[in-house]
Amino acid sequence: MGNLLEIKGLHARVGDKEILKGVDLCLPKGEVHAVMGPNGAGKSTLNAVLTGRPDYEVTAGSILFDGKNLLEMSPEERSHAGIFLSFQYPVEIPGVSITAFMKAAVNAHRKAAGLPEMKGAEFMKLLREKMAFVKMKPEFAKREVNVGFSGGEKKRNEIFQMAMLEPTLSILDETDSGLDVDALKIVADGVNALRSPEKSSIIITHYQKLLEYVRPDRVHVLKDGRIVASGGPELIEAIENKGFEQF
Amino acid sequence: MGQGHYTVPETPSGSQVYVLGKGERLELDFQILPGESKDVDIFVDLAGEGAEFSLKGLYLCGAAEKVNIRTIVHHRAPRCRSSQLVNGIASGSSNVSFYGAVVVAPGADGTDAAQENHNIVLTPTALVQTRPQLEIYADDVKCSHGATVGQLDADALFYMRSRGIPEAEALHLLMLSFLSPVIPENFVMPSLSIF
Repeated sequence: MGNLLEIKGLHARVGDKEILKGVDLCLPKGEVHAVMGPNGAGKSTLNAVLTGRPDYEVTAGSILFDGKNLLEMSPEERSHAGIFLSFQYPVEIPGVSITAFMKAAVNAHRKAAGLPEMKGAEFMKLLREKMAFVKMKPEFAKREVNVGFSGGEKKRNEIFQMAMLEPTLSILDETDSGLDVDALKIVADGVNALRSPEKSSIIITHYQKLLEYVRPDRVHVLKDGRIVASGGPELIEAIENKGFEQF
Repeated sequence: MGQGHYTVPETPSGSQVYVLGKGERLELDFQILPGESKDVDIFVDLAGEGAEFSLKGLYLCGAAEKVNIRTIVHHRAPRCRSSQLVNGIASGSSNVSFYGAVVVAPGADGTDAAQENHNIVLTPTALVQTRPQLEIYADDVKCSHGATVGQLDADALFYMRSRGIPEAEALHLLMLSFLSPVIPENFVMPSLSIF
């Protein structure tokens, strides 16, 4: 079983501030890894660099995704290649419906894969099926993206988009913050349903709540811009008991 | 607010003048499309009690257009309402100016006036000036105005790209998103591919 993701000696900065100071992380195909760490450890920077957010500069190191140099790819190319980020703070897009948004996304993916556009009826069937899967009410199809959504509805919308795009690597950024138990279970069901020998996930968090529902294969502790400990799920309990100071 | 003395606003020559009597309603919209250099000059006199005026305008400038938008809304009678929303996108070396005055005369109590002008500037060579002006000489009025000049939302752009929507298409969706409040029903938007 090969690695889906290989991060080696990754250094990154925002402006003049170096935040990642040599991150090494390997994610084999089919595994779910958790990256845990205190505030300011570099968790957000790590996911920003993985998804190609502008303003973050990689100064050293490499990232291979499925054997390809990820750092040379645009955010949309990374999406087409199978990377999905569930945002900590999903963005509101007034005037653009969820249907129009996802249709543009799905057809961009199909175009990149050399497939014809998905027709209206076929697309709506897929949309309704995935909305039902995350228990989103059908009327949300016409709603403007994230406008007026509650925190739980926004996260549900992220998981819905993930289900639509069927990524090989899903990155969940603090997806469990501000979620009630019902919404948390929907997120967990979404992640668990996408588990397969070919697909992997990274859950970036400083809570352990979501990890009660999605058991990670490995846990990494990110602190001061480096991975300072890696281990099995037993690390979660150690963090719960003694916090991040022990590392 | 309420400073200086009330003077009846002058009607600039060349403006379209609309006088609304008691209970009358007027809805206007305008669209200035790429390639059009144009002046929009609207003077609305809310002369009768309870008259209502609404305006929705949009402009799209992609080259070297010169656009002047001027609206003067005179609330002269009690309990009139006016709402104005003008949104536009300036690119290339276009030059856009918006001047919007709302004057509430003494005695025009119960006035409800709102005016907003939002502008996106895509290139450093495009110029947008916005001058909203409120003059209120009555008590018991509800007036609001807002004017912004900015860029497209970078976070929203990244959000779309991270879902696989190519940058150019994402920019067009964001422009439509920005303009959506001023696009009239059944209006066919021109292609935004010039941007």
